[in-house]
Parts: sequence; C-alpha cells; structure tokens
Amino acid sequence: MISCKEATYLVSLKEENKLSTFKSLKLKLHLAICILCKRFKLQTEHFCKISNHLENHSIDTMSIEKKIEIKKIISELSGY
Amino acid sequence: MEIKYQLDPKKWIDNYADQLYAFCQTRINSSNISEDLVQETFLSAWKAKETYKADASEKNWLFAICKNKIIDHYRKNHGNFISRENDITDTYFNSEEHWTAEKEPNDWGINGIAHVEKKEFYQVLAKCKQKLKELQQQVFVLKYIEDFDSDQICKILGITSSNYWVLIHRAKLQLRSCLEKNWIGI
Repeated sequence: MISCKEATYLVSLKEENKLSTFKSLKLKLHLAICILCKRFKLQTEHFCKISNHLENHSIDTMSIEKKIEIKKIISELSGY
Repeated sequence: MEIKYQLDPKKWIDNYADQLYAFCQTRINSSNISEDLVQETFLSAWKAKETYKADASEKNWLFAICKNKIIDHYRKNHGNFISRENDITDTYFNSEEHWTAEKEPNDWGINGIAHVEKKEFYQVLAKCKQKLKELQQQVFVLKYIEDFDSDQICKILGITSSNYWVLIHRAKLQLRSCLEKNWIGI
C-alpha cells in the first residue's frame, strides 16, 4: 500500500502516462479507498485545467509612465 | 481569398500594452520585470517588422514574441534556485506520510466546484500562485498555462526530472491548500 504523500506525488506522473502498470495499479487502489487523496486529485485537476484562463481575468494594467516611455522609444526609432 | 494582416506600430501601445502586461503578470511575479518584458517585446517586434509574414494577426504575432521573451527570462534564471524541498518541514504529511489534520483536503462540495469558474476565483488563484516559490511557479505556468510536458520544462529550466516532479507536487499541494483557505471557506 502506498502512502498519501506518494499517491499525491504519483498523480502528476499519471497525468503524463509516466507510471508503470504496477505503480499505476497501486495508485488506483489507493485512490479507491482514500477519500482525501481522491479529493486532492479531483480538486487539483479542476483548477489546473482552468488555469490557462488566468490572464483573461487579470485586472492588472501597465503604468501610464511606462507606456509613455515605450511610446517615446518607438517614435524615436520610427523617426516621427 | 487569403487574408493579409498589417502592422500598425503607432497604435501598438494603446492597443496591446495592457493585454501583454496582463499576459506577463500571469507568468512573472514582478511588475517591473513584466513592464520590461513588454517593452522588449515592442522593441523586438519593431526591429523585426520587415520580416513579419502577415500570416498571423498583429496581435498573435506580438503575443508569440512576448511568450518567447518570458521563456528566455525563465531560462536565464535557471540553476539559481534549486530548492531543497526535503529540508523544509513537511506540514502536509505526518511521519507515516498520511495527511495532517491541518492540511487534509476538505470536501469543496457542489458549490465549491461550480464556483471555481467565477471571476473572483481567478483572483484568489492568482494570489495563491504568487505565493509559490519562483521555481514552483515557473513549473506550474509552463505545465498548466503554456501546456509544455515535463521533459520540455526540465530543458527550459535546467532541472532534473526528479526536481520537476517534487516541484509540481509541492506547487499543487500549496495551491490547493491556499484556495481552500481563501476561497472555498468563504
């Protein structure tokens, strides 16, 4: 029987199919009987999957000063 | 008919500076570095504008340049901070490698999962992500935001695969715990 620490570690390897059949089976067995690790797997899978939308929800904007600075550099380069 | 795109450098800053900045801020913890990377993106784009093939939109082209700048930034830093995760006292698991009572995952319930798509959730996720150590954060970004696999990430960051699996394990443990504390508990 593998430990919770190992099971939660192996979950990420399983995602990339990097587990042997034997290890994979051990993980499956652990997750079948351990509600805590099962929760860990479902919850982490869920937020990892939607992390690629993070930038669409960002409220950060660039400072006006920096924008003016870049505009100046670009216009100097362009010669206008 | 094939669509041909055009560049309009005079409008770049007004049109894209904030979007590119948000793109960088999602991947880098420092607003100064993000601003500098956006500046470098515009300068490289300006210098490369003669080679622009017009087969990608101006926006996609700028974002592709910016993404390369970010990965170069990650590369430059590599080797500086291989963390010794094992030296840190493990608060997640006890000596038998069982979850500790303090950190064991709680049931997020139907509401927890349903609310996970909400705008406020992303703000908590962004904050929790910022609390990760720099290398943990880079590993997480490359894997779940940029969609690289572990072998590619090890090459970019100059880490071994066992470093990688420990880092991603720790990142997930910490993010999950932080989300539970700051979002699900509300």
